Amino acid sequence: MLNEERIKLMTKMAAYEENEGKQFMAIGSYFRSDYMGKQVIHSVISATIAYLVVLGLYIYYHFESLMQEIYKLDLLGMGKRALFYYAIFVAGYAVITYIVYSVRYNRARKSLRRYYNHLKQLLAMYDLENK
Amino acid sequence: MSALLEIRDVLRDFYSKHELYLFPFLKFCLAFVVILTINFNLGVTSRISNMVVVLMVALLSACLPLNLLVVFAMVFTVIHFYEISLECAIAGGAVFLLMFLLYYRFSPRNALVVLFMPIFFGLKIPFVVPIVVGLLCSVTGAVAVGCGVIAYYVIAYMKDNATLISSLDADNLIARFRYIVDGLLEKKGVLVVLLAFCSATIIVWLLRRLSVDYAWTIAIFAGSVIMAVILLLGGLNYDTGLSTGAMIGGLLGSLLLAFVVQFFAFNVDYSRTELVQYEDDEYYYYVKAIPKNSVSKSKRAVKKITSVL
Repeated sequence: MLNEERIKLMTKMAAYEENEGKQFMAIGSYFRSDYMGKQVIHSVISATIAYLVVLGLYIYYHFESLMQEIYKLDLLGMGKRALFYYAIFVAGYAVITYIVYSVRYNRARKSLRRYYNHLKQLLAMYDLENK
Repeated sequence: MSALLEIRDVLRDFYSKHELYLFPFLKFCLAFVVILTINFNLGVTSRISNMVVVLMVALLSACLPLNLLVVFAMVFTVIHFYEISLECAIAGGAVFLLMFLLYYRFSPRNALVVLFMPIFFGLKIPFVVPIVVGLLCSVTGAVAVGCGVIAYYVIAYMKDNATLISSLDADNLIARFRYIVDGLLEKKGVLVVLLAFCSATIIVWLLRRLSVDYAWTIAIFAGSVIMAVILLLGGLNYDTGLSTGAMIGGLLGSLLLAFVVQFFAFNVDYSRTELVQYEDDEYYYYVKAIPKNSVSKSKRAVKKITSVL
């Protein structure tokens, strides 16, 4: 016989699996450290490309003056300064990434916990019916 | 009011019944409007301004994920920039690439806001975007709004200066590039608009989450006032490109649209608010339940009358 409560629960769970659950389940399949590590590495790569783009634009903008004064310039000092700014930029971006993704990971775990509770309820309903 | 609610329910039912066909159709329409807007504003390239190309891209967008439309729009814009000059394409492309690298990976869902911003600027009601984003999205939507403002001003700058940039000495690529970058950085008014729109988004988001009656309405008005104050004060010192008359008209239009969005997304009856308290083993619960406004559908009975002669 059809169990209305069970059908309601299953529909709710199916809707969850189709929509927000899909994203959360992907997050939930990682350990926290692995997930955070992956996101931070992605961010470091993105930030490095972004920094190179900005550096490229800066060099292109000042190309004439740089070429004229290339022998007078302290290239080592400029390189050090560029690396310093790069380190600050990447570190800042990585920290923001860490904060954003740790919030997302916690939210996903909390949401999945609710989903697993529904699964337990469903199992209990089946058990009750089989008795 | 009940007639409006009935219309809303009919629209909802219609959408949910035909979602399978309506969603791709709406994607097609959005892509068509976006690409046409880009072509209309920067339409110097006859090859990609061709209606066949526009229709093909719109059809492709209807089948592909929505976020790819953002990529198509960026590619179209950069091709148009390239037609003005290579330096325009480099500067504009770099701005889009930075947005893509630094923001898009955080919140790809909000990327559509970047598309809507130039369209609503064109319609003279850009103020609706920060309000609606604050109402419907999370606080990170403020960054998307900021990216949209920057994208609009970059496009507007290239459009306004296309003739001048093209007429500059073609042999001196660096001088052209410097002219473009200087022009973009000189526009301090953009910062005022950025500040106004991002603050409004955050204020709207903060207020609509409050557990007070009419939180959404309060948020809409507060966001509009914040925007108006910052733009008026900032407009005294910097050129924001928005006249006071157009701003007031735009704000009123935006308010109207924001209330339409509120009607569809958050329509509740505060007069029937219920406050309940209960407890379980671990917590005390203080629950405020506000019923949604709805109308019961009028039942139509179809009576078949057959007469036998």
